[in-house]
Amino acid sequence: MEALFDFWAAYGSTVTFAMANAFFALSTYAVLSTGVLSFTTVTFAAIGGFLAAQMVGQFGLHVYLAFLIAGIGGGLGAAVVASLFLRLESHWMALASLALVLITRVTALNTPGLTGGVNGLVVPVTISQFELFVLLTVTTLVFYRLHNSWYGLASRAVREDAAVASTMGISPYRIQFTAFLISGAVGGLGGAALAFTLQFISPDTYFIGIAFTMIASTVLGGSFHWFGPIVGALIFTALPAAMQAVVPAVEDVAKGVVLILIMVFLPRGLIDPRAIGLRRAAKRRRDIEHEAEKTHA
Amino acid sequence: MLEVASQPLLLEVNSVVKRFGGVAAVGGLTAHVRQGSVHGLIGPNGAGKTTLINLITGLLHPDEGQIHFAGRHLEKMKPQQIAGLGITRTYQNVRLFSGMSVLEQVMTGCFLERKAGLFSSFLGLPSARNDWKRVREHAMHLLKRVAMDHTADELAETLSYGEQRRIEIARALGSNPRLLLLDEPTAGMNHAEATAVGLLVHELRDAGITILMVEHNMGLVTEFCDSCTVMNFGQLLAEGDPRSCIANPDVQEAYFGRKNDAERIKSLR
Repeated sequence: MEALFDFWAAYGSTVTFAMANAFFALSTYAVLSTGVLSFTTVTFAAIGGFLAAQMVGQFGLHVYLAFLIAGIGGGLGAAVVASLFLRLESHWMALASLALVLITRVTALNTPGLTGGVNGLVVPVTISQFELFVLLTVTTLVFYRLHNSWYGLASRAVREDAAVASTMGISPYRIQFTAFLISGAVGGLGGAALAFTLQFISPDTYFIGIAFTMIASTVLGGSFHWFGPIVGALIFTALPAAMQAVVPAVEDVAKGVVLILIMVFLPRGLIDPRAIGLRRAAKRRRDIEHEAEKTHA
Repeated sequence: MLEVASQPLLLEVNSVVKRFGGVAAVGGLTAHVRQGSVHGLIGPNGAGKTTLINLITGLLHPDEGQIHFAGRHLEKMKPQQIAGLGITRTYQNVRLFSGMSVLEQVMTGCFLERKAGLFSSFLGLPSARNDWKRVREHAMHLLKRVAMDHTADELAETLSYGEQRRIEIARALGSNPRLLLLDEPTAGMNHAEATAVGLLVHELRDAGITILMVEHNMGLVTEFCDSCTVMNFGQLLAEGDPRSCIANPDVQEAYFGRKNDAERIKSLR
């Protein structure tokens, strides 16, 4: 029991960061599951983070209300981004979204009235790990429902082959626009979660670091099921801490190495529903062959 | 059998031109498909048949000319709008969705059949659940129709090519289309399988679906098509009754080459 408490003291904060990262990974997954690779989650996180911090700091709103506003703010930002970005071809969109990450930081730096500029903002309130857990659970529930609804089916079709999906009456634009809205809201929640966890945010909080974490988590965990990004975020956040405990020197290298190993050996990520189907099909074929051999003998 | 010639026109292709760079893949083609018929679209490779199918379904837009379907202009519409009017299709190279089970493929084809909105479906309201069940049964029924219901839960990409073709037909039937476009539905099939597809096509026609099919098997065309259009180099070569189309000397030449050429080649040996 004591060992467990020690473990918690050492790794409790890792779990909190893993949960915050899970929001970013889910936000990336939301658009990736409709075939859109976009780094705009960072922008939505910045909108959510600074909005939430200001709502609490300036206006003294309750944390829960601040989260709500962060989600809505992220969603609105996403609506603007989507209406511009969805005109672009996929690889140009990825590039444009990366540019937006840079623009976000410069904008944040140059609007000290809203973001505190270079000095950043102190966030006077925090949330408990349990509250964050509940919020993540509710968000996960949303993804679960989406996956098992007409939207889920349509988004998978659009991701695999948008042209074919369109000849079945599915509008790829509408599905991807909706995906952006979801990505924006979840990204905004993640930004707020990070703000209340760190209790100090600056333009550099919402920058390349998040972009790398969210893409790595999604690739690692898999982008073909909502459970993938959550698992990915957990492993990707916990791994460096665990590595540090074992071999302190390799912490930074470990992230990169794990990412490369995953991409080489599990290109579709750890959670892959298709792999289960393929294994089942292979087993079935073996069974049929066995039967044939038996009847032969 | 229906008296096809007296049926009204369902699809009219009027002097349609589609260029890729300098090449006119379809160069001023005019064709007609009557309601309730099985209409064959034939022609040698590169004649522009698949391009025409892509133009009708909105994946490509014509540079010139019009396409009318049941009194509507299709040439500027988006694919999803055209699907909404009741035109669905299959593909020359099977294009099923990777990672989806057979049933999910067909359910996706039923997207327009659903009555529940995306939001009420997300919330899982009782009405939406019932609707989902109804569409699921509809999809299972379609799978039964193409004799693939025993594979409903399997990953479509693990099945054979012929089976995938049948699943694709079931998917195209999902939204109860008025016009079904089949792009080489019997490619890679043996005679028995091809005949089964021909019989299925007749069943569908008798159920009220008009069919336009690209087909290379002349035997199948004469046996199962009520009328046909022959294309060559993006243009109309012949239109009308399949037998007389195939007997047409121009068509014979396009498919089999010139008689003199054959004799000249012989003399060269």
